[in-house]
Amino acid sequence: MYIEIRTLSEKFGKFFLTATLLLSFTLAHSQDENVEPAAEETTEETASEGGGSDELIQVGVTVYEENCTQCHRFNSVVVGPALKDAHTRWSSKEELLHFIQYPQKVIDGGENAHAKELYDQYKQYMPNHDFLSDNELEGLYAFIVAESTNPFHEVEKAEETLASADGSGTGGAGTGVSEEFLMVIIVILIVILLSIIVALTLLMGLMKRFVDSRDDISEEEREYISPGFNLVAMLRSKPFVNTVVLLFVLFALKSGIDGLYSVGIQQGYAPTQPINFSHKLHAGMYEIECQYCHTGVTKSKNANIPSANICMNCHNSVKVASPEIQKIYAAVEKNRPIEWVRVHNLPDLAYFNHSQHVAVGELECQTCHGPVEEMEVIQQYSPLTMGWCVNCHRETLVKAEGNEYYDKLMEFHDGENAGMTVEDIGGLECSKCHY
Amino acid sequence: MGQLKCTVKILKINTMRIYLYTLAIAVAMVSCRAGGENQGTEYAPNMYHSVAYEPLKQVKDKSAGLWVNSTDENVGEYYSSNPNNPYGMNMREPVANTIPRRSYNGAGTDVYFEAERVHKDSLAYSAANLENPFAEGDELVLEEGKQLYLTYCQHCHGKTGNADGKVAAMYPGVPKYNSRALKDISQGHIYHVITHGKGRMWPHASQVAPDERWKIARYVQKLQKGES
Repeated sequence: MYIEIRTLSEKFGKFFLTATLLLSFTLAHSQDENVEPAAEETTEETASEGGGSDELIQVGVTVYEENCTQCHRFNSVVVGPALKDAHTRWSSKEELLHFIQYPQKVIDGGENAHAKELYDQYKQYMPNHDFLSDNELEGLYAFIVAESTNPFHEVEKAEETLASADGSGTGGAGTGVSEEFLMVIIVILIVILLSIIVALTLLMGLMKRFVDSRDDISEEEREYISPGFNLVAMLRSKPFVNTVVLLFVLFALKSGIDGLYSVGIQQGYAPTQPINFSHKLHAGMYEIECQYCHTGVTKSKNANIPSANICMNCHNSVKVASPEIQKIYAAVEKNRPIEWVRVHNLPDLAYFNHSQHVAVGELECQTCHGPVEEMEVIQQYSPLTMGWCVNCHRETLVKAEGNEYYDKLMEFHDGENAGMTVEDIGGLECSKCHY
Repeated sequence: MGQLKCTVKILKINTMRIYLYTLAIAVAMVSCRAGGENQGTEYAPNMYHSVAYEPLKQVKDKSAGLWVNSTDENVGEYYSSNPNNPYGMNMREPVANTIPRRSYNGAGTDVYFEAERVHKDSLAYSAANLENPFAEGDELVLEEGKQLYLTYCQHCHGKTGNADGKVAAMYPGVPKYNSRALKDISQGHIYHVITHGKGRMWPHASQVAPDERWKIARYVQKLQKGES
């Protein structure tokens, strides 16, 4: 029955998912259809207002997309100033275009007051754009004018991102709904089961009354129809008591032995950290490599806890207002260490070296640390017991290929790497880890 | 008959007691297990805690491990903080105005040393004068450079240098390597930018060693040409 329910619900879930997907597709499509003509209209309008032809503005859009968007937007400061009304801030078109081509020259020349002002404010030179052709520069200018007077390009962009966000949003909600849907199906099934049971009991009662009302049934037959059931007698019966005792003893033994084994093992330890850092977000969602922050992992015994300057590589401007990020700023300003709580406390009696395992053995971080990219709070995934270490050393083959350190060894073994485990090259020697 | 009943009763009470004790012991043992904030019970703790200063470990509580003390001092055995350092840290910052050995030791000695000494504002000097100690087209260097690039650069600059990394969406201002502005910049320029940062990119000198920077620069050169 359980399997049936599962397959049924899966089928329903799939059906529902397809339905939502189809629905969202059609919705998105109809949205596109709604947006497109409107955008075309505005383009025409701005073209007539800005003075540049449609093609010229299109050239400008391409130049802008390829060369400017990394540092500029129209309505916000990214690296350089916002481009909205840039043409009005310069005294002439030629001056602006010349500046775009040779910014450093213009600024260092010191003759242009606005250029100097910009440099004082943003503290860096824009790179030269002397590779832009005259036509491209004209197009860029036309585009700046058109976009400033009647924004169309960035609006479109914003709508695009909004649409994609909507798409993903409905996708997420879709899966959420299907989960709820499963719940509903299960509840309905339970209700159906319950009502069947109720109906059966009613039916049985009815039949019993019917049988009772009959006179032509012998005592023996009656006994057969409703055998007397004595609960107390069953509870007191020897087999029952013995079974219960046996189960209890087994349970107590199991949990006792488990408890003994867990002494000295910190598997599952997940302390609260001073900053609510999420590996799920950084390593999972944004796919930042472990090594980007834990830089020591290929070079030293320790993987290293990143210093605040690595956080600041992004958080100088990402999520500045968050109280958790503020803690980094406070630490940097006061030159105070952030006191992370150490999670993996390998006993001092054992030596472990990260670089040996990661750089030479080419192990993935996840082999020992588990799916860190899914952990909101970091926890010790592996037991880190000696048995656990030894087991891996027995099973893992030495990565000898492409490592000249092992070349001679391979030679003596006729180049046969097959079956040469870490154990075979002394990976179980006591003094490898204990000294 | 009465006697027999009595012994049976006593036996029952005893077995009940035994059950209860076993249960209590089992529960107590289960609570040795680590999880959440609980670090679990340590076995032979004296052998767990380092007597010497450990770089990434610090116990500030002076009473920690007082119960297993083997010395006459009134400081607990697990206490591990260096009173000579600020905040009792066990690590020390490098001495001010010193250059790490890695920056002037090994192959291409002069190049590393010179590159490290270039002032952060002298991008033009680096771009014009610094030469990559690794030859162009060395497959091994390119392979290493690629791995390093995927580790240190990819999340912003994208796998192919197209500025489409996952982080770039949150952190705008990432250029495309094969754009006309960037496709011809020199190896020295790339090295300088990794070392000192540029625009919105912050210096990555603390994470990427000098030789690794040069290897990355070689791989980026490939991306500038639109190859990957």
